[in-house]
Amino acid sequence: MTDSSKKQEKQEDRRKFIVTSTIGASAACALFPFASGIPSVLDPATRDKGNSEVPWTKIAKLSSLPEDGTPTKFEVILAKVRDAWTTYTDIPAGAVYLARKGEEVVAFNLKCPHLGCAIDYRKNSNDYFCPCHNSTFALDGAVTTENSPSPRGMDTMDTKVENGEVWIRFQQFVPNIKEKVPV
Amino acid sequence: MMKGIMDWIDDRSGIRGLVKEALYEKVPGGARWRYVWGSCLTFVFFTQVVTGTLLWMFYSPSTQTAWESVYFLEYQVAGGWFLRGVHHYMAQAMIVLLVLHLMQVVIDGAYKAPRELNFWFGILMLGVTLALSLTGYLLPWDQKGYWATAVATNLMAEVPLIGPIIQKVVVGGVEYGHHTLTRFFALHAGILPASLIGLVVVHIYLFRKHGIHVKEPRPKKDSYFWPDQILKDAVACLAVLLAVVTLTIYFHGAPLGPPADPSNEFPARPEWYFLFLFQLLKYVPAFWGAVIIPVFLVVWMFLQPFIGKSKVGHRINVGFWWALIAGSVFLTFLAVSEDQANIKHGAAIEEAKWQADRVIEIANAEGIPPLGAVSLLRADPKNQGRRLFAAHCASCHRYNGHDGRGYPVDDPQSAADLAGFASTAWVTELLNYDHYVSDKYFGGTKFKDGTMARKVLAKYTEEENKLLPEIARLLADEANLPYEEKLEEEKRDELLALFYNDDLDFEDGRACIDCHDIDSEDEGSAPDLTGYGSREWLIAFIENPEDSRFYGKKNDRMPCYGRDDKLKPEEIEILVDWIRASPATP
Repeated sequence: MTDSSKKQEKQEDRRKFIVTSTIGASAACALFPFASGIPSVLDPATRDKGNSEVPWTKIAKLSSLPEDGTPTKFEVILAKVRDAWTTYTDIPAGAVYLARKGEEVVAFNLKCPHLGCAIDYRKNSNDYFCPCHNSTFALDGAVTTENSPSPRGMDTMDTKVENGEVWIRFQQFVPNIKEKVPV
Repeated sequence: MMKGIMDWIDDRSGIRGLVKEALYEKVPGGARWRYVWGSCLTFVFFTQVVTGTLLWMFYSPSTQTAWESVYFLEYQVAGGWFLRGVHHYMAQAMIVLLVLHLMQVVIDGAYKAPRELNFWFGILMLGVTLALSLTGYLLPWDQKGYWATAVATNLMAEVPLIGPIIQKVVVGGVEYGHHTLTRFFALHAGILPASLIGLVVVHIYLFRKHGIHVKEPRPKKDSYFWPDQILKDAVACLAVLLAVVTLTIYFHGAPLGPPADPSNEFPARPEWYFLFLFQLLKYVPAFWGAVIIPVFLVVWMFLQPFIGKSKVGHRINVGFWWALIAGSVFLTFLAVSEDQANIKHGAAIEEAKWQADRVIEIANAEGIPPLGAVSLLRADPKNQGRRLFAAHCASCHRYNGHDGRGYPVDDPQSAADLAGFASTAWVTELLNYDHYVSDKYFGGTKFKDGTMARKVLAKYTEEENKLLPEIARLLADEANLPYEEKLEEEKRDELLALFYNDDLDFEDGRACIDCHDIDSEDEGSAPDLTGYGSREWLIAFIENPEDSRFYGKKNDRMPCYGRDDKLKPEEIEILVDWIRASPATP
């Protein structure tokens, strides 16, 4: 190998080194600003809601529910709701149907398990009906038609009656899947 | 395959030619470190645009949500402090780099023909960057941003004829409010960066048109922008990046002061790079600072390419910039050292830090009500206690030598220091004659010549003096302070016997009980010490020290806060809880 070709090789090595370092350093600078925000931007997706207990909320007096089990619609006013930094008190969070069964009460979320429209109670046919995609539900919340758009029956929630007051644990559930999973 | 796609795109866009043109710019005299500043600034601006857009996802511009959303990002969102810290310190790096870039251009003579136009664009960009900084630090709506920006917007009103209108348009009204934030945000995240992008494009176009201005002598033979100069640029950018990341981690992100509160004074100081202007306004009228000097500087800068045509002119230009920098550094130094020498300023900074820590502590625990974080501090007994003490008690009393918040007091102390009031340590000292008549206790009151001082404490023998700490333990036990332990029943009885002087430990036969009651029905002539220093006792005392239970007619100057409606009952309770909450700090 001649001296000149050695020199040329050395120069090529040097150039290769320069090109690689330049691309590396430039890429680091270009990517850094985006990288610096990744954890923050992904925060909502990675945030674990934790096993925080769903609080009991007082909805109505038991005596205000018809004894024959006819469903009645009630607003759910949560005592305390946190939205990012703000803590709200007494905030409307949704609505439920309450139906009496003797001394007990069942509670159905007003939201259709299909895609979240508000479900009506139909007095004439004594059943539940979703006016968006025509899902129908029986009084016990079960799906009534075979080809119902809704993959599951209406979502129930825990209830209890204490000193004549009806309490529920108000929850939302993942729509449009067969299982009832809290969001 | 890849080449096919590239060919297809190139046929339709000519992208290869563009890239080639961009990369193979000739660098006469070879790549040099002195050329890196422009690229660094482009990189920093790019970082600001990206991090700023990401911050946008978290920011909510209104007076009840601006501080709150920044707090949430800083303390609740994963990595939020880092993102905000990078944006904050990068902004400061941008100012430093601008000065370096400008000085390189001036010293190398790159501002002269045919590059005059680009020099002016550069000056314009300097102005836009300063405006970005100014609008940026208001956005967190903390005390610093609020008060410092108030000064800046008041200066706008100094512009002749249209000044007041400009001020109203920028502030969004007469008073600071929602529209101040929405407007500053639109300026900071929309109008100003968009203008800067446009200016950068023109600046780079003009730079490319005339090529690099070569500083003679040329150290090496000519080379190209790619890769030699880009490597140097990238290394410099990495160094800036490293510095910013180091600052961010070292200070754990950008500072966030207590939420803006127009009723709570805060010493307005701008960011460090505006301190020289702040200091200047101590010497010149606002009109000079806001109008005459800036206009003079701008006109002078505009003329510099022409002045620089001759050798002498160039030297004048370089001298002008050095003088400007030296003057700014000197004024900044004056501003900082004046503040450091000012005890009240230091106390105000400490107080703001205390409030920030406190409000964040509450917000972390309870969240923030819709009224905003300022309402948390207003409702906080710990914060209110300090403020009530400072406002109503500190002109005579002290708390650890200060006004309760940490501020020194101008009036001489004329009543007792109440830090650790009624604690064993406090009462022990009180019962020592030398302390009793000192300024820390009753030295500033008429009680220093009273019976207790002259006829009792001054007369005790050494042996008797040794008994006094025991009496102090008894009194402190009456106070039931949250940080002191209760006495055992037996011990209390023993001390009470001493108080009654049952065993004639005090030789003259006189007992404390002769004047001061504890657990007895008699009304001694001196304050009743049953439950002395307890919550109930202290509330009743502050309500009416002239009551026969306390000083009666012997009251010196202590106002009757409850009887005369000087304080509301709940304010007295807050004050009492605050005084009793913690021991004195040594």
